[in-house]
Amino acid sequence: MTPELVLQPDTTARRPMGEGHLTEEQFGELLSASARGPAANSSLAEAHLQSCEQCAAELASLRECLLLFREASTAFADNELRRMPQVTLPARRPMFLPVVEPGYWVLAAAAIFLAALLPMQVLRQHTVQPASAVAASTSSATAESDEALLEDVNREESASVPAPMQTLADPTDSVASTSADIETSIQTSDQRKD
Amino acid sequence: MVPENIQTFPSTSLTLGAGARTTPLDDLESAVAMYQPRVFRFLLAQLRDRDAAETLTQETFLRAWTARAAFREDCSVSTWLIRIALNLARDHTRTGRFRFWKHIAANAVDVADVAASVPNREGSAEAQLIAQEQVKRIWESVAGLSARQRTIFLLRFLEEMDIPEIAAVTGLPLGTVKSHLYRALNVIRTRHHPQSQEGL
Repeated sequence: MTPELVLQPDTTARRPMGEGHLTEEQFGELLSASARGPAANSSLAEAHLQSCEQCAAELASLRECLLLFREASTAFADNELRRMPQVTLPARRPMFLPVVEPGYWVLAAAAIFLAALLPMQVLRQHTVQPASAVAASTSSATAESDEALLEDVNREESASVPAPMQTLADPTDSVASTSADIETSIQTSDQRKD
Repeated sequence: MVPENIQTFPSTSLTLGAGARTTPLDDLESAVAMYQPRVFRFLLAQLRDRDAAETLTQETFLRAWTARAAFREDCSVSTWLIRIALNLARDHTRTGRFRFWKHIAANAVDVADVAASVPNREGSAEAQLIAQEQVKRIWESVAGLSARQRTIFLLRFLEEMDIPEIAAVTGLPLGTVKSHLYRALNVIRTRHHPQSQEGL
């Protein structure tokens, strides 16, 4: 690594020509302008070059070096470039025409189906549980009533005389009691009139 | 079957809408053939890394092609591409995205290889060796420049851009460009002619 020079532009770059050689700025201007003709404001520097062999030689040498640098770098890069694969664009489709490969459609459909199925399955598990409880309670109630019915049947069968064959109550008993009641009520009403 | 109002991109299956403005970068193959050497050369000299230069060259063209609608032709295509390449190179060195490549010596540019590429001008073997040595020295000097100085130096003396063009690419004022360029030249001059500072 070459350490960068600490420049003093106020003392060197603006130094009058007559005191010495070309300044850093003048050298820069002359070198920068070398590739595309002389610099516009380099007449003073050009005049100095006519009289100063040292500056002229240095400038020529630097120009030659910079030219060599460019030629060598270009040749090297061109050589490297031949080994480089051709620039190609990735095969992608434009944004305004989003066409997806068929395989992706199947995957997307399967994903959507699964996403829809999962909550439904969870919901179903939540709703099935009370129904089974109700069914269980219903079945136990049915079993109890069946048992009671069977007990009634057994009771009736075990009875000595079946219910249809039981002796009927005497209907006249009730009629007599009724007429007596009527007579009693008539007598009571007569007494009240008296 | 391509509809009549859709223009098929020549080298790929990509298509442009009918209302899209045509740009010089629509034909990517032609743009690459014309500008790739320049972009690659600049990136190679700037980064001194073959793989990084190759990757970023491809990235430059892809980005340029993707953003071609934003190209207003207020500068040349070459300037625009170099500007993109420079931004990519800055990101590359800033983020160190490919930092591990720096440690792979095989990818780094060998200064001796560059020096060996000096064209033979039918001079003596000694003159050829001296020329190679000079090139080697400049390459090493350029490596020692600050990033900004190196960029400006390469744009001027490798890509042969003039000062206003460099200012457009780097986004720096003309005076700043000149200042960095002169300082870069002074570093190289000092390395090339150590007596130059003594004479001043």
